[in-house]
Amino acid sequence: MTIDFTLDLRGEPCPYPVIYSLETLQDMKKGQVLQVIADCPAAFKNVPEEVVKHGYTLVQEPVKNGQELIFYIQA
Amino acid sequence: MTTLRKLFTNYWSPYVAIGIAGVLSALYFGITNTVWAVTGEFTRFGGHILQLFGVDISDWAYFDLIQMKGSTFDRTDGWIVWGMFIGALIMILFSNNFKIRMPKQKRRLVQGLIGGIIAGVGARLALGCNLAAFFTGVPQFSFHAWIFMAATAIGTYVGVKIVSTRWWKGKPILQKGNAAPAVRKSRKVQPYIGGLVAVVYAGLIVYFFLNGKTMLGVAAIFGAAFGILIERGQICFTSAFRDLWISGRATMTKAIILGMAISSVLTLIVILVNDVDPITKIAAPSTFIGGLLFGIGIVLAGGCETGMMYRLMEGQVIFLPVFIGNIIGATFLAYAWDHLGVFDLLVKSGAKINLISVMGPAWALIVTLVLLAVGYIVASYWQKNYRFGVGFKKGGANK
Repeated sequence: MTIDFTLDLRGEPCPYPVIYSLETLQDMKKGQVLQVIADCPAAFKNVPEEVVKHGYTLVQEPVKNGQELIFYIQA
Repeated sequence: MTTLRKLFTNYWSPYVAIGIAGVLSALYFGITNTVWAVTGEFTRFGGHILQLFGVDISDWAYFDLIQMKGSTFDRTDGWIVWGMFIGALIMILFSNNFKIRMPKQKRRLVQGLIGGIIAGVGARLALGCNLAAFFTGVPQFSFHAWIFMAATAIGTYVGVKIVSTRWWKGKPILQKGNAAPAVRKSRKVQPYIGGLVAVVYAGLIVYFFLNGKTMLGVAAIFGAAFGILIERGQICFTSAFRDLWISGRATMTKAIILGMAISSVLTLIVILVNDVDPITKIAAPSTFIGGLLFGIGIVLAGGCETGMMYRLMEGQVIFLPVFIGNIIGATFLAYAWDHLGVFDLLVKSGAKINLISVMGPAWALIVTLVLLAVGYIVASYWQKNYRFGVGFKKGGANK
């Protein structure tokens, strides 16, 4: 898997992780992979759930890194 | 052991967490005859701070209304607040999830303060935040809670419009390729600190009971339970409204509605069995305007007075200015109440309306449950059909 872009959202509170993720995915080409790094606990749930609801796929299980979570989303 | 570990490391279903909170809040009312609330105590914090600076607040009507007796540690309302902080902190430490989370965009701190002040003013203008004027207000069959909820919904919509503007939202850091730091192994000391905090806090509760301060002990237990539940369930009242307008997310909306339905049934039983009066707050223009301001403020701040509490314990720095803002806003409202004529202008014309006295207990419950059910159905429909940046679109977007 090649990661095309990385969105570092550490420190961002809600609702910005969801907004930023969806906005970035909208501008990406289909098939490209976005890596999202988040540390807002609410984002651990609402980012993956909302990107899936909006038709994107999680290409791999999120990776936990200490108090951070890394998502891999395909546009 | 694995089940226990899962309980501490995985978040709980918000439906379960808020459902239990609904049961506990009815039980707490049955025992203490007061409701689960926080912003009244925040206003008293403001009062104490003013007293510390030598301000004479004895003639402020608002402090008379909410009563300033003793210190925060002598009040049940005080221990609900401290208990919530401590309960949430214990859970965060158990799950090794504390981290100083500093927003990269420093504008967030100013935004938090502004939002916090607006939410503080709004909540106290309406005589309660999303707890007393919402989650515990509806189960008390106090009509003001319904006005407050409707106004909060409108306010959060306005709030979303503001935070979606480029100058407020700011820009994230988007890098090409893989720019993630390497996964590191972390030593887990946090659970031990959490255990220590839990033991000390349990000792305090025992002390309360042994010294005849039974109600403080009860409040300390329930406060911690509420803190545990909102943190484990990541209960967010802001999200319940805001996320509908942003991406059509309705998880919190539905969970909170369910919690209120459970709490309404149980609270009615408590009212009838204990033969007590429900706690009714005044419904007036102030309720609507307060809800509107509250709705705008919580979206700008990123959290309400309840959600802010566990987020602060998680180490989210932005919620420090939010907390300070909440207290400033609440205290300002307490001043404006009589000194600036807010009461005469917006509150005096109102009345305490309780659904039980208007239509009897059976109909009060039926009407409440039907309205909640309608809300649940609308929220479900919304979640299915509303999409980010598109709104409602035929055939569903992106599929």
